[in-house]
Amino acid sequence: MIPNTPAAPRGALAGIRVIDFGQMVSAPYCAKLFSDYGADVIKVELPEGDAARTAGPFPGDVPHVEKSGLYFFHNTNKRGITCDVAHPEGRRLFLRLLEHSDVLIENNLPQRMRAWGLDYATLAETNPDLVVISITPFGQTGPYSGWNGYDLNAYHLSGASSRYCGRPGETPLEHGTFAADYFGAVTAAAWGLAAVYGRELAGGGQQVDVSCAEAIAATFVGGQNIGCYAQEGRFDKRTGVGMPLGAPATILPCRDGHVWMLALEPGQWNGLRKVMDDPEWASLEMFQDMYSRAQNADVIYEFIREWTLQHGKMEIMEKCQAAGCPVTAVFTIAEAAAQPHLQARDYFVDMEHPQLGRLKNLGAPFKLPACPGGPERPAPLLGQHNAEVYRELLALGAADVRRLAQRNVI
Amino acid sequence: MANELPLKGVRVVNFGWVWAGPVVGQTLGFLGAEVLKIESAARVDMTRNLPPFADGIPGPDRSLSNHACWAGNGSVSLNLKEPEALELALRLIATADVVVENFGPGVMERLGLGYERLREVKEDIILFSMPAAGLYGPLEHVRTYGLSLTSLTGLDSLVGYKGGDPVPVENAFSDPFAGIFGAFAVLAALNHRRNTGTGQHVDFSQQEAVMQMVAPAWMDYTLNGRSGGPKSNEHPTAAAAPHGVFPCRGDDRWISIAVCRDEEWQGLVAAMGNPDWAATPAFATLPARVSTIDRLHEHIAQWTRGFDDRELAARLQEHGVAASPVLNVGDLLHDPQYRARDTFIEVTHPLGFKETIYGAYVKTSRSRPDIRPGPTIGQDNERVFRTLLDIPEAEYERLKRDRIIY
Repeated sequence: MIPNTPAAPRGALAGIRVIDFGQMVSAPYCAKLFSDYGADVIKVELPEGDAARTAGPFPGDVPHVEKSGLYFFHNTNKRGITCDVAHPEGRRLFLRLLEHSDVLIENNLPQRMRAWGLDYATLAETNPDLVVISITPFGQTGPYSGWNGYDLNAYHLSGASSRYCGRPGETPLEHGTFAADYFGAVTAAAWGLAAVYGRELAGGGQQVDVSCAEAIAATFVGGQNIGCYAQEGRFDKRTGVGMPLGAPATILPCRDGHVWMLALEPGQWNGLRKVMDDPEWASLEMFQDMYSRAQNADVIYEFIREWTLQHGKMEIMEKCQAAGCPVTAVFTIAEAAAQPHLQARDYFVDMEHPQLGRLKNLGAPFKLPACPGGPERPAPLLGQHNAEVYRELLALGAADVRRLAQRNVI
Repeated sequence: MANELPLKGVRVVNFGWVWAGPVVGQTLGFLGAEVLKIESAARVDMTRNLPPFADGIPGPDRSLSNHACWAGNGSVSLNLKEPEALELALRLIATADVVVENFGPGVMERLGLGYERLREVKEDIILFSMPAAGLYGPLEHVRTYGLSLTSLTGLDSLVGYKGGDPVPVENAFSDPFAGIFGAFAVLAALNHRRNTGTGQHVDFSQQEAVMQMVAPAWMDYTLNGRSGGPKSNEHPTAAAAPHGVFPCRGDDRWISIAVCRDEEWQGLVAAMGNPDWAATPAFATLPARVSTIDRLHEHIAQWTRGFDDRELAARLQEHGVAASPVLNVGDLLHDPQYRARDTFIEVTHPLGFKETIYGAYVKTSRSRPDIRPGPTIGQDNERVFRTLLDIPEAEYERLKRDRIIY
């Protein structure tokens, strides 16, 4: 990564202009994928700012509208302007911006967009070539389209938690992050970019309607479960174990944390045996294939746990990997940050923010050697690029901008 | 030429196997690309042998999960151990725009299909590689399953009950995530090629792509040095309370409730019938609720326990509260939202049986994908070898007989 070098090649998405009218995670992360790979992304915030600005995490847990880590992460490489679309003049400005844009990315509830007079029909009339990427928990149509919802609600509507996440009889779990929002964001980026790329074939712009819940319900849960349910009328639920049909396939504690213990195929199992110094119990008949090991999971997990508890997770991973066994350490965030592998691949980038100072950020999620991407410029301060963007795109003069600011339109 | 699918005319040769690689092809296929998965009866993709099978009859063309996850892909069968098959693969690649693979680093080179070789037959080809941890680096050859890949990102360390050990997510969320994400990367490379005329070899590390999901915890680490841990269903940055899953009437029935704004809290209190406890200062503001969240969640769980999950979700929604029933797999087919959006559809397989798969999981207003079942092995052979590569019939028959096309 060569940050801020003028000679650096233009990004893969050079030539595409995007308006990001999103808040929190799903739409901003989708728009970040466009901005980090070279599109000109203008983030439009309401005068009070993206809700992520108040959602933290903040340095020292002290809330500050310019110091939210969530906002920082999801808005790199964007220019930021403010616009009160609830104000008639603000709404007009917003629509004029869209005339100069290829894509709008937003994650407001449909009723909110309608209340602002920004329903898709109006947007399409303003700019028939505009691709509108709308990301919501439940989608633009259907009986739940009017529901209020967040990442948590979308995830748990997808079937993912009941099936795969948590112990039986206990609360189904989310991933501890915005798992549905991220899933919806990458889905929207793929389908949305295709709609831009193929605009001439498609005959113009269109609305790309992404439901975070539906994307997960279909591709993650549905893919491997719905065929069976439809045909046989039965379905599975979370076991809390990891993989119920084969063993070992679970997370086990070790001396300094946890490992993902996986040894299913005969070669893998023999590798693990070797690493454990071939204990006597491992030669028992009931442990000789992955199915019978799974049937005796309680017993075998006790045996393996005794061993893992005596060893460090990095050591276990290293030795098992060398023995052909796909065991991995469960990295904490701090351990991931210190990973020589990720460092050798320049996954982390140092960035400078006027309020947060210097900090280490995650870099590009994938490498395009011919046109490197990744975050280079920090997220914008609230309204930072008002004068620049309104002048450049809408030819407003300094006096116009001042007047609009005085009337709280921008 | 109106209303064509946006990727019409793009040809993808997909060496992807199991789940993540096929989903890259599937997504591009849903969007109009012609996708040809290269596979072989000589070494059947393991997921073709995953039960359950259509009508309970085992067979590599009858795996119900395989069909859903690979819909959108076509299939060409080539036994790549044979030099002639390799030549055919290269001839096909010479007509293509994109090659997709999810082997380990170096496998394509060993097959004789490394990036430099591909460039010789098609100079502006885009090779998309998605190994577990990228094409180079100390962990280059790390062995993982999709299940455990997430452990290398820090994500698994965040999943579990509050204050407890990590609980394993029991399937590879990373597979469809990286598969769809990969389609975006391919499109970015296509756009670059359109701008500049050059292709490239995309290095898509599933570890790095999936690690983007830990951003909230990452930022807390980078700003505050805290490394995070399991905390049930609480908000990732503690910006909402309540934020959890609560028990409802019946066996394993639950509801999710998330409250970020004060209006939503007022709505929840009203829906609960204004209980005395909710009026105390301990719950009056969001910061107060966040700091008393365990007690808050206990109160709410007491209340939700008596209700049917769907009725309660509808009632909370009427009060403006973000809530949803926690669906299980059996609910998905009957859920009114998914029914209204045709999330799952029944299709007729070329072998004659009917099966239920997922359709276009994104709705596009102008162009609707035509969803076909996942491919049988080699279903596109005739079209590809006879028509596209113009192989004479006798030669085609010989290649099949010699198990080159196989």
